[in-house]
Amino acid sequence: MAQNAPEETLALLARISQKPGVQSTLVISRENGAIVRTSGLISNSSTANPNSTLPASLENAPDSYSNGRKESGIHSAEDVASIVWSFVGAAGILVDGLDKEDEVKLLRLRTKKNELVIIPDPKFILVAIHDTPPA
Amino acid sequence: MEQTMQQRRDEILAKKAKLAELKYQRELRRQTAASRQSQGSPSDLAQPTPSRADKTRDLDMLLKGIVGERPGSTGPGSPAGGRSTRPTSVISAGQLSSDNEIPPYSSGGGMVDREMQTLSIAPLATVFEFDAEPKKEIITYSKGVQTSTEWSRSKSRGAGDSGSERDESPTRTSKANKRLSRRQKERDEEIRMSLRKEIEEEIKAAQQSSLDAGAGATGSKENFPFKTLTNEELNAVQSSDDFANFVERSTKVLERALDQQYDILADYALGGVDVDEEDEGYGSSGGKKGRRIKEIAQFWDERWSKKRMISDLGFSTKFPELVLASYTKNPSAPHDPDGLIQVWNLHMHDRPEYIFHAQSDVLTAKFSPFHPNLIIGGAYSGQVLLWDTRAKSAPVQKTPLTGSGHTHPVYSLDIVGTQNANNIISCSTDGVVCGWTVDMLSQPQEFLELTSPPPAKTEDMAPTCIAFPQSDPTYFLAGTEEGSIYPCHRYDRAGAKAGVDGRVKYAGHAAPVMSLDFHPARGQIDLGDLVLSASVDWSVKLWKVKPPAATGPSNPTAPGTSANVVEPLLSIPREDLVYDVRWSPVKPSVFALVDGSGSLEIWDVNVDVEVPVQKISPSDAKRGAFASMPSGLGYMNRSLNKLTWERNEGRRIAVGGMDGVVTVFEVGAELGGEVRGEEWSGVKRLVTRLETVGEVNGK
Repeated sequence: MAQNAPEETLALLARISQKPGVQSTLVISRENGAIVRTSGLISNSSTANPNSTLPASLENAPDSYSNGRKESGIHSAEDVASIVWSFVGAAGILVDGLDKEDEVKLLRLRTKKNELVIIPDPKFILVAIHDTPPA
Repeated sequence: MEQTMQQRRDEILAKKAKLAELKYQRELRRQTAASRQSQGSPSDLAQPTPSRADKTRDLDMLLKGIVGERPGSTGPGSPAGGRSTRPTSVISAGQLSSDNEIPPYSSGGGMVDREMQTLSIAPLATVFEFDAEPKKEIITYSKGVQTSTEWSRSKSRGAGDSGSERDESPTRTSKANKRLSRRQKERDEEIRMSLRKEIEEEIKAAQQSSLDAGAGATGSKENFPFKTLTNEELNAVQSSDDFANFVERSTKVLERALDQQYDILADYALGGVDVDEEDEGYGSSGGKKGRRIKEIAQFWDERWSKKRMISDLGFSTKFPELVLASYTKNPSAPHDPDGLIQVWNLHMHDRPEYIFHAQSDVLTAKFSPFHPNLIIGGAYSGQVLLWDTRAKSAPVQKTPLTGSGHTHPVYSLDIVGTQNANNIISCSTDGVVCGWTVDMLSQPQEFLELTSPPPAKTEDMAPTCIAFPQSDPTYFLAGTEEGSIYPCHRYDRAGAKAGVDGRVKYAGHAAPVMSLDFHPARGQIDLGDLVLSASVDWSVKLWKVKPPAATGPSNPTAPGTSANVVEPLLSIPREDLVYDVRWSPVKPSVFALVDGSGSLEIWDVNVDVEVPVQKISPSDAKRGAFASMPSGLGYMNRSLNKLTWERNEGRRIAVGGMDGVVTVFEVGAELGGEVRGEEWSGVKRLVTRLETVGEVNGK
């Protein structure tokens, strides 16, 4: 396996986000839910580049995004991050209850509108929201 | 009056006298009893007669009557037990001691009795009663417990529990406790209040964000309970190995998930689903349904496949969805490694599962059939390389660039042997064949130099490819640049030395042999001696090789004279350079070839030996290296170099060539999959027929 430089690692994520059907991707920390990276999600703080890193700082005014969010149905990265984070936690509790030595490896959540693919790892969680194949 | 008084006096006197008499008699009786016992005891020492025992018992009874029974001393059940034991004890006492010791002894017996009773009842009672007293002490313990509950209370308060029930608990404790914990309680109350406040805020924020989408942006800010990363932290995280590994792993999973074509939630009752593809005749190829061939995947990577040619292909034996492709160097990227291997996954279309590098062009590579993690390859530098899918992209082992191994390009290698004892056999274009063990590539285990047998003008031999039969790992065929195919032995054997067996020569091709393939022979009839060869002389030839042991006796000519030249069984002329030809791993009569015009042809010798049953070219969906080049080179860029069958099912074929695109086809049931018995016999009949024709022609 290639020991990728940071930019190559990020390029892998960018590739994912550019795949057809993928609406948004999100990398959050498993430990505290901090957002490491996101694409396709409106964030309170990130600038125009959707693949840019997201240092979510508090001083940015979020007002300019309000309208866009409402219309397109895109959620804020923080929303998704916190919801997914607690969902992964709940799934962890479920699996723990069934078998103490087991562990969540993959969550695919199909909704009427799209699918969430959540890949929990010991340190990070990767989330992708993509369109479901037309059925 | 007086009379009556007198009478009474008399009566009293009489009674007194009676009493005195009684007293006296009692005294007397006691004395006599004592004397009688003291007399009697010596006479019968050990065995008291029952009558005597009874008497003593009577005496005891009397004594007891006199002394007065202590109330409640004897229960209703105890005398019965006491009676049986007492006589012996009394007598033994009598034997030992004097008379006056008896009463205390007997009373002592009563004491014992009483004590036994108290022992049986009293301890129970006392234990029971004493328990109540420590209860008071426990209160102090409960005090301690209460402090701990207060801790847990403040904790559980965090979960949003109402503390009303617990608020009562302090009132139950003593006033002293109250006084002691009052300060603490006040502090707790403060914490509780602040916690409650926080929780309320959180709930409020959550409600706000969920209800009000517009204000959610601000709401989520408050709601989001997790810390946000600063730029420095973010950079640190993103450059960490953990993050790189995570992204590597998780994106692969994600891509596989996204590339999964089939929608498991598909509801066929809803909407018109397209007519099944199998019902329509396949466009360009037509023909019967079972013989259809379909392109299922193409692999090309913008970053790595660009301007490289495919030099070899191979399916994994363990994981049939994995196919590896080795590539030559990219002449326009001098900083990239020259050699490249990409392992593609049929379930992940846009990205290789693994990427491996080498310092020199990789000319041939394959998965080890005995270890699913290992990939071996031969390089232009003459090195044999070993990669591990569990390791990084650099080879885990490689042969040194010294005289002990190969010094010329290695175009062909194979792994032969069994699971526990296998060797890598590599062949370079200068005629050197080396045997290596997978564990040690620092030095070849075997070293063999192939030389052209005498009739040739020069001793030098330039093998382009080698092929081992399924049954015998000590014997192989080598195809050469001049077009002949020679049998070779790895070791000395009866009638033949190690190296090229000069007695037999398979001549037929007029140009370099590009590929040799033994029949995989996994069926009821042994067809393992059938060999296909492909050459750039625009032909494919079918050979029946002589068994290595039989070459000696069957050959009448003495060694050193001209070789026994064997003609091909069948020669199939094609319309272009044939670069590769491979038997189907399951169908005995089916083989596939790729040619310079970019076609994949499937042949079934049972059906036809003159035209292929299927012919197809990879689509242009993926933009290969030459896609943007002027159309004048059009035929060049389509050329296919290599093909490989998936070994387990024989349903998939991967092809690749000049443009660096790997294309995977799937063949229909008649070209891969289940095998019927007559197919084997059909091939056998064909071979016999061809042999007789050959003999007739020869004579």
